[in-house]
Amino acid sequence: MPSDEELMSAVAGGDLDAFEEIVLRHQSDAWRVAWRFIGDAAEAEDLVQEAFLRILDAAPRYRPTASFRTYLFRVLNRVCIDHARRMRPAATDSLPDHADGSPSPAQQASLSEREALIQAALDTLPGDQRMALVLRYFEGISGTEMAEAMGRSVKAVERLLSRARASLEPRLRGLF
Amino acid sequence: MLCEEVLKKLRAFSSGELAPDVRQAVQAHLKGCVTCRSALERVDVLAGALADVQTPPVPARLAARVMAAARERQARPVTAWNPLRWWRLASSPIHVAAAAVLVVGLALGLAMGWTTLSAPRTAPTQEVAQADPLDAYNVDYLGDAPAGSLADSYLSLVSDRNGEVQ
Repeated sequence: MPSDEELMSAVAGGDLDAFEEIVLRHQSDAWRVAWRFIGDAAEAEDLVQEAFLRILDAAPRYRPTASFRTYLFRVLNRVCIDHARRMRPAATDSLPDHADGSPSPAQQASLSEREALIQAALDTLPGDQRMALVLRYFEGISGTEMAEAMGRSVKAVERLLSRARASLEPRLRGLF
Repeated sequence: MLCEEVLKKLRAFSSGELAPDVRQAVQAHLKGCVTCRSALERVDVLAGALADVQTPPVPARLAARVMAAARERQARPVTAWNPLRWWRLASSPIHVAAAAVLVVGLALGLAMGWTTLSAPRTAPTQEVAQADPLDAYNVDYLGDAPAGSLADSYLSLVSDRNGEVQ
């Protein structure tokens, strides 16, 4: 079975079958991160698609300095943060996505009440803190890998996590 | 995985230090074990709270959708000059070459601007004003006019020989 790096080398030469293999291998990781970040299935699909297409476009310049998974998270992080900025320019990095902190009707329909509340609590975080939290608690990746994926230092991502915890813990403690 | 094993790995679990397969095994255990979840909550409240949260499965059509968009993108002819797309598709040596051309251009522009600024500023019009009017206006052929001719009279009028007897 070819490695991710070998597949990316083939993708750089225009091989779409290799690209399909990359998509099939990594769509679950991308989906989990995008869905947890945005909390909406349709939007999460759009984000995943955009991230994979950016990877396809950039394949000739891909250099395997980190694992492909980390590279995917780096691209996805940029797509998600850009999306959050486009959707709510005034709210970027400072205000909650849902003004009243409540889940949207689509979220209500697809999640249990407890999970909807968790998602609503996540939505109140600024984009970068939310991404840090998703990568650590839902993907279980280390500080070093997070730093690579988010284009920040390890200390910076730990600070993001610390702020995210401080804001979420009081809300979630009441749920359990 | 047994509780005893899971409890030993909780700290590494909460800091994201476990290998993916071990993490999955711990996570699977945590979903069904209240005791270990409580222990995790003591290590990291948030990790404990989020340990059994489910994410919806990947939509069945997701990969097909991505591939359809990828095929469409590859089939699309490049009809218009799009510098941004060209820049994205270009390889690193081309980026380096473009940057070098830009730097050389800027350096040349700066050098030319510096040369112009530091050059001495002279006013050639002053030299013209102080020169012999005959030379300046190319009427020196009048200088050889015979005495008493119309040309000689004109020269007398425009020069300081006015009324002078030669």
